[in-house]
Amino acid sequence: MSRLATHPLVRAAILPILLIAIWQVAGMLVGPELKRMPTPSKVLTAAIDLIGSGDLPAAIGQSLTRVFGGFVVAALVAVPLGLVMGSSRTVERNLDPLIESFRPVAAIAVLPLAILWMGTGTAAAIFIVSYAAFFPLVINTIAGVKRVDRNLLQAAATMGLAKVTTLRTVVFPGALPSIGVGMRIALGVAWTAIIAAELAVGAKSGGGGSGGVGQMMFVFYAYSVELNRIVVCMIAVGVVAYLLDRGLRAVLSWGMPWAR
Amino acid sequence: MGHAVGAVNGAKLSMAQLGKSFKLPSGEMAAAVQDFSLDVREGEFMVLVGPSGCGKTTVLNMLAGLETPTTGTLTLDSRAITGPGAERGVMFQDYALFPWRTVRENVEFGLRFGPAGKGLSSEARAQRVDKYLELVRLTQAQVKYPHQLSGGMRQRVALARLMANEPEILLMDEPLAALDAQTRLVLQDELLRIWGQDRPASDRRTVVFITHAIDEAVFLADRVAVMTSHPGRLKTVIDVPLARPRNDGTRALPEFQALCQEIWNLIRAEAVRATMT
Repeated sequence: MSRLATHPLVRAAILPILLIAIWQVAGMLVGPELKRMPTPSKVLTAAIDLIGSGDLPAAIGQSLTRVFGGFVVAALVAVPLGLVMGSSRTVERNLDPLIESFRPVAAIAVLPLAILWMGTGTAAAIFIVSYAAFFPLVINTIAGVKRVDRNLLQAAATMGLAKVTTLRTVVFPGALPSIGVGMRIALGVAWTAIIAAELAVGAKSGGGGSGGVGQMMFVFYAYSVELNRIVVCMIAVGVVAYLLDRGLRAVLSWGMPWAR
Repeated sequence: MGHAVGAVNGAKLSMAQLGKSFKLPSGEMAAAVQDFSLDVREGEFMVLVGPSGCGKTTVLNMLAGLETPTTGTLTLDSRAITGPGAERGVMFQDYALFPWRTVRENVEFGLRFGPAGKGLSSEARAQRVDKYLELVRLTQAQVKYPHQLSGGMRQRVALARLMANEPEILLMDEPLAALDAQTRLVLQDELLRIWGQDRPASDRRTVVFITHAIDEAVFLADRVAVMTSHPGRLKTVIDVPLARPRNDGTRALPEFQALCQEIWNLIRAEAVRATMT
């Protein structure tokens, strides 16, 4: 018994369980006055509902598709650009001020333009996601290029490699660990951005899961006013973010067997 | 004095009054190498030996085309050296193996991505890689990554990578410095075997090898160029008439000991000064 109580997993679970218990008790005490107060038991029921109806999985699927689309677009632009910027002082000096002045402009601040130009559908969503993912990718790629072992570049030079070949065969793999870090950050902000964008676009697109998790939350907030369902969405957003990161880390580790 | 010391007729590599200065943070210029003249014959094993800070790595880097001389001229077959080139292969002190490529892929690298493999079919390339992996006895380890290897094995991968490109000139920057004493002795023997000390001199590649170890220099070299520091200059060039193939017995010869002593006498005063001040 005492050994079970000191097991790390058990110890890690104590505080969350305690908090959930307090939450449940508090919800039951103030319950009658505050009808909309979510409690763990109501949230669980709502979760079963949302998952059972297929609405939540569909919404998550929709949001994920947009995130992956935007992420791929961002990576295809940011990684080659970062490789060139990190290798060439001239290119970096010319582009860095432009990139650095756009960087503080949050993705959500670009949303009005995106909606006006591309509507409230997937095109605008992918634009927002790729905008958000672009900056961590390009900045970490540049940093990675600058940290590539100079000896390896010299080795490539003494073997007579052309510049472009060196970029592909030495600079890129050398910067890959840092690019991986950039990908992890980028995927995180991309997921944050898509939820915010869908939330802001609101109920303009179709119902159910077709507008993604963010839009689903907006509907529960503005129309049906279901706090328990909003909490379910919040938890889902957190869990998906965690799984995305875990998945990406597994892919990176698989793709870089030498760095394990 | 200076330029006559190292000059020979029909040189493969020729360095004439080479100088290299660096700008210090204070803005002053500091000479790393000054008035350095040395000719290397085709097929010759030339060793540069000298205390740390004597500029021997700078000389090698200039030969590799990685650094540009401030003064003087540098030629290969009478053509000026202006940058790196695949005909001059380099083995770096820290081996510079690509960590993301396996042993085999490292050895194959120059053939696959550089001009050394031009006109080679993929079968011919694979055969070449097999040959050099076998020569350095790494056939078993070819699927491993560099971080899975010992220092001695990494050194042999670097050697195989260098040899696989079959450059005309082999430039080696203290390739054995990071190894323990026993591994070093073993690899000195291996190096001579792979270089081809059993073959006739006309069938060997030209080597410029850097070390601070006098016994290593004498064991490997046809000629030893002794350098002194601050600034780096060529003090003298010593012939090593020891017969090839050389082996463990060579190290026990009185002539071997005498040559080591002779070189030590040349740099002792400076080495003592550098150590004690």
